[in-house]
Amino acid sequence: MSGIHHDNRMIFLPDFCNVRMVFIVVILAQLLSFILALGPQVPSGERWFQLSLISLFIQWVALTDCALLCLLRPYLQRASDTIVALASMMVVVVVTLVISEISFIISREFAMESLLPSSWHSEFLLRNLAISVIIAAIALRYFYVQNQLRQSIEARAQARIQALQARIRPHFLFNSMNTIASLTRTEPALAEEIVEDLADLFRVSLQTDEQEVRLSDELQLCQRYLHIEQARLDSRLQIDWSLQNGNDTIKVPALSLQPLLENAIYHGIEPRVDGGVIHIGSQVDGDRLCLSVRNPIPPPSARSTHSSHHMALQNIRDRLAVLYGDQGDLRIERDDNQFTAKLIIPIQRQESPS
Amino acid sequence: MKVLIVDDEAPARQRLQLMLEEMDGIEVIGQAANGREALNLCHTRSPETVLLDIRMPDMDGIEVAMHLQAVDNGQRRPPAVIFITAYGEHALAAFEAQAIDYLLKPIRRERLQQALARAQQLNHAQIQALHQAVEPTRGRSHLCIRHGDRLDLIAVSEIACFQADQKYVSVRHDGGESLIDEPLKELEQEFAQQFVRIHRNALVARQRLIGLIKTQDGGFAARLAGIDTPLEISRRHVAAVRKLLKQFG
Repeated sequence: MSGIHHDNRMIFLPDFCNVRMVFIVVILAQLLSFILALGPQVPSGERWFQLSLISLFIQWVALTDCALLCLLRPYLQRASDTIVALASMMVVVVVTLVISEISFIISREFAMESLLPSSWHSEFLLRNLAISVIIAAIALRYFYVQNQLRQSIEARAQARIQALQARIRPHFLFNSMNTIASLTRTEPALAEEIVEDLADLFRVSLQTDEQEVRLSDELQLCQRYLHIEQARLDSRLQIDWSLQNGNDTIKVPALSLQPLLENAIYHGIEPRVDGGVIHIGSQVDGDRLCLSVRNPIPPPSARSTHSSHHMALQNIRDRLAVLYGDQGDLRIERDDNQFTAKLIIPIQRQESPS
Repeated sequence: MKVLIVDDEAPARQRLQLMLEEMDGIEVIGQAANGREALNLCHTRSPETVLLDIRMPDMDGIEVAMHLQAVDNGQRRPPAVIFITAYGEHALAAFEAQAIDYLLKPIRRERLQQALARAQQLNHAQIQALHQAVEPTRGRSHLCIRHGDRLDLIAVSEIACFQADQKYVSVRHDGGESLIDEPLKELEQEFAQQFVRIHRNALVARQRLIGLIKTQDGGFAARLAGIDTPLEISRRHVAAVRKLLKQFG
């Protein structure tokens, strides 16, 4: 799955400089030649001969159109859709007329009058022109609709990912505010640090344009988050890190690990009078990065019955799906006393920025 | 006014303590970090008002209020309760509906003063409504038993069975055996999720059922984890117990 473009204003024509696109044009041109050669007015004995002539002509026109549209593309980049459509139509009309005229001249110069008798001249031009204009109109319409569709899909994906962009639980915000209010008098230095941590956390969570960050950045953010919670929960919260070295630059979705920690604290630590240990691990396994968060499960009598749990997990799942398709995953394992969330993220080779 | 502070977070307790110390006519008689400590302190120090955090581990604030209200049979007035929460829990609608005061964290000084000035005891109906709003399907997490000046809290998850005697109900749990004077029928309703009736005079924990045995007189008895002597099952409950055992496999 390719990255999502942020620039929605884009020329609706496909890129005719692209080899793939040229190949598609060649195929379509050939199909058109077949259709014309199968026409009822062609005598059946001459079909193959006619097909080769028609193919030659149509490929010539189509490839020239391609080349010109490719050359024109930089100039049309910022133009309105109407201008782009008119310009493309002009290209097609001019190219068709010029090549038809050249074909006519060639047949006359090389004494192949039987193929294109001079009496045909105007009819030949007009017929070619009509076919070109109709095909071009259909193609433009198709490109336009397809572009609209692609744009709306991208816009939706964009909106979705922004909506999903991990929301920090309001509960956490108010608890932190309360912690700060409490510490302001008794431990002003710690209160100051927590304000800084909170600011960092919110800066990232309010940022909607950067969907992926380096693992080291995400881990640092998690540390800031845990610092805040530590001030509130004190010795009830213990953290055990086991991070594999050298994975700092791997890209992970922004705020992907932090919500798992928030979950672990909310459901695993807070409901326990004596708190507990959260184990955080990172490990590279082949071309995948696995981040895991493990927390104790409180006794059944203390379990919260409201399940905000699933929302946070589903949110992360959805973001993984948008970013990595089926390459990413969030796995949940639980036994009697431990809950483990495992985040599987494909390691992307450094691609050229789109 | 004697006030008790109950919150599981140390910084939150500290802040309340500081604020209360600056107010006239307020004496903070203690801080509790969980429901158990809170109930014990209420029992021994008799505060007039309790500032009670709603979300706490093990026993939430609403259940604490429930125990506070329930057990004092006229000898002593239960303390007034002011609830505290960090964020609009879904139960707050029930607070509004029952006209129960609550404070939002971070607490403002003037709101705290206001709340203290008009703090009231909760009545049974109010607490029931709150409990319904928070845990509609679950009963208390603990039973609270007072013996003179001692206060016992029994976690419901540690109870194996309730057996009705003539006057009392005996509770057999991991810590021993205690007597309560709540009717078996009400216990059955409250803990319908965790306990099942096996006899006119017995409720047993579903989780603890491990087997059925035949008795000498042709009846059946249930074996329970942690209890040596099997408990008699009345004929009309045998089928239901069998079904339960099958479910647990």
